[in-house]
Amino acid sequence: MSKTSRSLVTMPSQAKQGDIIDIKVIVQHDMESGFRRDEQGSIIPRDILRGFLCTYNGTEVFRADLHPGTGANPMIVFSTVATETGTFEFTWTGDNDYLAKTTSQLTVT
Amino acid sequence: MSLAIRSTLRLWLLGLAVLLSWPACAQQAKDSRQSSYELMTPEIQAMQANPDSNPAAFWLLDGQALWSEQHGSERKSCASCHGDAAKTMKGVAASFPKLQRGRLTSLEEQVNQCRTTHLELPSVSHESKTSLALTTYIAAQSKGMPIQVEATPAAMTQVETGRLMFEQRMGQLNLSCAQCHDQRAGLKLGGSSIPQAHPTGYPIYRLEWQSMGSLERRLRNCMIGVRAEPFAFDSTEIKQLEAFLMWRARGMLIETPGVRP
Amino acid sequence: MNTRRRFIGMSLSVGLLPLTRTHASEEEAQLAVEKIVGKAFVKSNRVKLDIPPLVENGNLVPMTVAVDSPMTANDFVKAIHIVAEGNPLPNIISFYLRARSGRATVQSRIRLSNSQRVLAIAEMSDGSFHQGFANTLVTLSACTEV
Repeated sequence: MSKTSRSLVTMPSQAKQGDIIDIKVIVQHDMESGFRRDEQGSIIPRDILRGFLCTYNGTEVFRADLHPGTGANPMIVFSTVATETGTFEFTWTGDNDYLAKTTSQLTVT
Repeated sequence: MSLAIRSTLRLWLLGLAVLLSWPACAQQAKDSRQSSYELMTPEIQAMQANPDSNPAAFWLLDGQALWSEQHGSERKSCASCHGDAAKTMKGVAASFPKLQRGRLTSLEEQVNQCRTTHLELPSVSHESKTSLALTTYIAAQSKGMPIQVEATPAAMTQVETGRLMFEQRMGQLNLSCAQCHDQRAGLKLGGSSIPQAHPTGYPIYRLEWQSMGSLERRLRNCMIGVRAEPFAFDSTEIKQLEAFLMWRARGMLIETPGVRP
Repeated sequence: MNTRRRFIGMSLSVGLLPLTRTHASEEEAQLAVEKIVGKAFVKSNRVKLDIPPLVENGNLVPMTVAVDSPMTANDFVKAIHIVAEGNPLPNIISFYLRARSGRATVQSRIRLSNSQRVLAIAEMSDGSFHQGFANTLVTLSACTEV
């Protein structure tokens, strides 16, 4: 059973063909860096998101590699050209079997 | 000069005096209070202002889900009694902490009271995910509304006790809240601007905590900052200090969920 | 006497070791860059990295990187790597784009442990590298839990 949390996407639902659309994704995750200590002084183990993938009708259009230096509750804003009507799939992966997927529809005229 | 002319002249002079003093009057009435939002960098202001960039969005969604979660033998939820929070919770957070049956009660305590009494749920601790999700969700329904503190003699006694604490030097650094937040607001402490410290945005997503947190948590941080033993969560003292801060900020608008450094 | 001096000396040197790392050494930052660019010469134009010059809290620093590129099938930005020279781990985040990204502009939020220089290294479709940087002063929030 994978760990998951809320992930949100903000993007238009409609676009004209050839338009560049901006996509904002944000996911709930502490991004425990592995450098913090608990009240007893022991290191809190690293537990972060490692990857983000965006596909557009099954084709990768954007990807990111995350590290402990990425801020908590990661947010990324990127862009892509609206080519055809279809489904965007957003996948976050990380330590301890983390997996979160969201989808969004885009109608291209 | 005739009596009529002198009277008219006096009237004109009086009118002129009133006219000249009008801007000064208006300035004295202008509210010099400001939210610490105004002191933040544009980037962090944008983080608060954009609902899809504000990390508090997750707590809002969790709170919304918890609001409708059914529990107990009667399968009740917050919504069973309170319906649509957007309607029924408007203004609620703007008036807490308040006296309930003679006892000063914080919003966190009220949520616990409701859940233990009506939903047969155990109490949740002050900075727990559940407590913060629900208080963030409830307080967000007061966004844009003015802070309102009832001015009954009993309520004002609590406020005045809180005021004494605000003005009392404390800790190894021997500083009172007032020395920084009244007398030196707007000046710098290291790299940070000293805010007036109005509780308009709570619960806040504090960048330092990398999480949502309550006003009580923030006040405890202040006390640790002056190297004083911090008031305990849910203690009478901390709620009285909260009550004073709310009274001091009365009329200012709620901006929950706030983002702060 | 000798054993006691040595013991005290060793204890002292252990005691002086930093309990948590907050800085990469200059070599580590350099190695991180080399891993990205190999032996290629890195040009210093076309990449604009925007980070607030004064940061109130290093835990969540908004950042925008924009690369001047036509983003056509023959000339586009393949990747943008963010390297923080002063963080304990210099690699911060990497973005992989396509020609169909339309614009080589990405925003995110990063952690900065100290005042430092942050690099943005763009890898182009022709294998060349361009770099931009931003200097930033990172301050600590007032009144925390420690």
